[in-house]
Amino acid sequence: MSPLLYLTQQTINALAIGSLYALVSIGLSLIFGILRMANFAHGDMMMVGAFATLLLVHAGVPFGVAVVGGVLIGALAGALVERIAYRPVRGSSDVTLLLTSLAVTYILENLGILIFTSSPQNFPLPALLDDVVSMFDGQLIFTRINVLTLAATGVALLFLGWFVTRTTMGLGMRAAAEDLGAANIVGLDVNRLIIVAFVLASGFAGLAGVLWAAQSGVVEPAMGFTPLLKAFIAAIIGGFGSIPGAVLGGFLLGALETMIVAFLPSSITPYRDAIVFALLIAFLLFRPAGILRVQGEAKL
Amino acid sequence: MTLLRRELLLGLAASLALMGAALAADPIRIAAPFNVTGGLSSLDAPALNGAKLKVAEINAAGGVLGRPLELEVFDTKSDATTVASVASQLVGGGKLAAGIGFTDSDSALALGPIFQKAGIPFVTPGATSPKLPDQVGDTMFLACFGDNVQAAAGAEFVRDQLKAKQVFLLRDNSAEYTTLLAKYFEAAYVKAGGTIIGHDDYKSGDKSLTAQITKIKAMATKPDAIYIAANPDDIGLVVKQFRQAGVMQPIIGGDGYDTPLLLSVGGKGANDVYFSTHAYMAADGTKPIQAFIKAYNAANKTDPENAFAALGYDTVALVADAIKRAGSDDPAKVKEALAATKGLEGITGTISFRPGVRVPDKTATIIGVKDEKLFLAAQVTPSFVPAP
Amino acid sequence: MSRTQTIWIGIGVVLLALSFFAQNLLPDYAVRVLTITCINALLVASMAPANGMTGVFSLGHVGFVAVGAYAAGILSLPVATKGSMLPDLPGWLAGWYLSFLPSTLVAGCVTAAVAIVVGAPLLRLSGHFVSVATLGFLVIVNEIVINADSLTRGARTFTGVPLETTLPWALGWLVVGLIALGRIASSPTGRAWRATREDVVAARAIGIETQPTRLSAFVLGAFFAGIGGALYAHYLGSFSPKSFLFAYTFTLISMLVIGGMGSLSGAVLGTVVVTALSEVLRNLERGMDFGALSIPPLYGASQIALGLLFIAIMILRPEGLLGPREIRFPNARSPKETTHDSAAP
Repeated sequence: MSPLLYLTQQTINALAIGSLYALVSIGLSLIFGILRMANFAHGDMMMVGAFATLLLVHAGVPFGVAVVGGVLIGALAGALVERIAYRPVRGSSDVTLLLTSLAVTYILENLGILIFTSSPQNFPLPALLDDVVSMFDGQLIFTRINVLTLAATGVALLFLGWFVTRTTMGLGMRAAAEDLGAANIVGLDVNRLIIVAFVLASGFAGLAGVLWAAQSGVVEPAMGFTPLLKAFIAAIIGGFGSIPGAVLGGFLLGALETMIVAFLPSSITPYRDAIVFALLIAFLLFRPAGILRVQGEAKL
Repeated sequence: MTLLRRELLLGLAASLALMGAALAADPIRIAAPFNVTGGLSSLDAPALNGAKLKVAEINAAGGVLGRPLELEVFDTKSDATTVASVASQLVGGGKLAAGIGFTDSDSALALGPIFQKAGIPFVTPGATSPKLPDQVGDTMFLACFGDNVQAAAGAEFVRDQLKAKQVFLLRDNSAEYTTLLAKYFEAAYVKAGGTIIGHDDYKSGDKSLTAQITKIKAMATKPDAIYIAANPDDIGLVVKQFRQAGVMQPIIGGDGYDTPLLLSVGGKGANDVYFSTHAYMAADGTKPIQAFIKAYNAANKTDPENAFAALGYDTVALVADAIKRAGSDDPAKVKEALAATKGLEGITGTISFRPGVRVPDKTATIIGVKDEKLFLAAQVTPSFVPAP
Repeated sequence: MSRTQTIWIGIGVVLLALSFFAQNLLPDYAVRVLTITCINALLVASMAPANGMTGVFSLGHVGFVAVGAYAAGILSLPVATKGSMLPDLPGWLAGWYLSFLPSTLVAGCVTAAVAIVVGAPLLRLSGHFVSVATLGFLVIVNEIVINADSLTRGARTFTGVPLETTLPWALGWLVVGLIALGRIASSPTGRAWRATREDVVAARAIGIETQPTRLSAFVLGAFFAGIGGALYAHYLGSFSPKSFLFAYTFTLISMLVIGGMGSLSGAVLGTVVVTALSEVLRNLERGMDFGALSIPPLYGASQIALGLLFIAIMILRPEGLLGPREIRFPNARSPKETTHDSAAP
């Protein structure tokens, strides 16, 4: 394999995994932007979305419809969690918000185990999506799911861009991100804005969950935790609270992880996560506003 | 509250037993701590299900020594401190004939000293570290071969039957099982005259190995085969991604591959995969195995999730056999009888303990995949087994 | 020393004396639950200075517990065991070993040293950022432990540590830890900790430097986390990297939060409440038989109940059962003395 092809293939690998990270971190950033809340339960909406899709497929619903249903159920779950657990603590300290979401994720994961057992279950994928695209005599390959994930991330980004700049609701959200109290004073229905934000964020998480399950082939109750950690890193590198920052951060993280494995000797590659987290800490220390230099309040 | 009530009931039962009234129906109690929830539950829960199944079968057939078996099941939450508390609760909570449980060394080692002190034998279906019994003492037994045996069997199969001279070694570095398996494989394979041309690691939970795979593809010297030490939860994805990337060399591994996910997730990517495991557990296996799969499915609405289900089943068979030969549920006698187990036919193979060795001598079975179907590739008793 | 402090110390000494008899009189199960409660209470109390009092909410505390456990394990493994367990141990560590008390103390010091190195940069952050960054520290510790094979056996279980942690030892260390932390928390240093939580600018205005103040709380907490880790190592005798990860983090944090973040008696109360609740629920969730009505086992229900309690506390009493207060004993002679210093134990 020529060095150029090798680099290209690793770049494709980086884009594939990065687009998944980006899709998860978009929702994380959206919620952080408005509520200043580090939402640990975001990853569990991936689990909800993927399990809902799986159940629908088992019930005989066509795959495409099942995915839409799964995403909607993920979105609904996010709204429910907001209404039941987060609204009563809204406005509390950073730590209270963070801990509440940590408790929610603990409950949801154990609930998942209680209902579905913790054994991973096969996620059936239509053959059409499972195909591999191969070029240069099989030296460059990617899967249809990779392409789909990349496209979903792009669409999500465009949709959110349109939503926050062109719709009343979206503009309201930006106002809320700017100053939640003031948005309330000028008569915006803040509760509604926040529910919509959770529906959007959790819907994206649900979609990411389905794509994650499609890529890994399995669904399991704890599936959201690793992607959540990655999404935190991505969101912070990009500038926590910024949607474009989250996307950029997701791709950068994917690239970084891939390149550590691709180009460093095998004595160093086991330290991949340590390197990534060390970089995250460095970012927090020296460039807390992220690559996009998100300023204190201006978000979305 | 409940504890008190349980204690009361037990006391009552004991006094009744003394009066000789309820002696015949008095169940034989077997401790069964398992990590039903938490990080290890995808391995422990199937083992417990298998054990429950065997207990139900034995009781339906009249029990042991005319008495039913009763599993004292506790969820130890994948937390070693909970394991220790549960262990002493079990030991202090009435007479136990023996104990079974766990698929990892952490839990077995947290429980071990407590059962050792109480002199109650404990058989683990799935903690496959061969050093485990000696780390605890004469009450700890394995129901399965040590990882050194299956890794050595895999190594000899790769070297002698697949004729692979150079192998790439990939492992999940986050678990003891995969770490040990990789270590023992390397020792046995090098001893058998093979060369390891490269190492790499991944972590269970990463759902993409494409970076590692691309690296293997780009190597100047191509491996003849790839040994991957993987957990059951990941294996389907692992083989699928290798094949999607066009890496078609044989992939070899351990009993972690013994899960329906290998075929359901791996699909045609599972072709040309070989793994060492306890027995040929496919639907066209022996009669007892077919019956086991059917009964497991009826009880749990799913096929056995991984090899631990069958090992849990055989662990109960092993303990029941020892109680029968001991002629008593006295733990000291059960321990002696366990140690003297000879030629017990289980569904995961024949179990015998050599004197002083509490890891059974079992033949490793090598299973292959062809046309998305499992087939029996070989039965290997390795000539060289790496020291534990 | 206030009356409350004197009474607490008295209670501690009496309990300690009782524990020598208790460990022979009580069933082994009760002794074990009490012992692990003491270890966990020490760990939770060691989170109180940084997480509760200075307001730097670390999610990485279990990383320090891991450092303490491994340090104590490596130091106290008998030489013969070292040869078979850790054949690649560097020579300067291989030929000798320490007994229980010294290895525990050294483990505490090693952990404190790590905290100085780690805390210096991390404590410049605040709010959720410090939480995410300390979570990163936890992942980094885990990965180093997994890869430092020659010292730690990697992902394999580290075993063979002598079983030395008895109930009197665990309770003794808890009493020592609480006295030390309580004395410092009620000293000017402790007031400075709280000042940096309440108002950084005001604190600076009266000459309290945020960084060194927070670092002192962080390092002191880490020292006792290291001690607690060493006790854990000598209690179970075996552990592995995954013993010290997110699950244990959540357990300790729930204890701290339910009891009350800024208070040492809250830390102990939270540990007792969560442990008692978990033990009771663990036995209940096995299912029940009431003759005609039988409830099937619902494994995992105890964790869900704990999570619900956690959320209920966050909503109804976000400062925990005790909040920043300590359990106090009114001073009969001069009632005024107790009111000016609201957090002294």
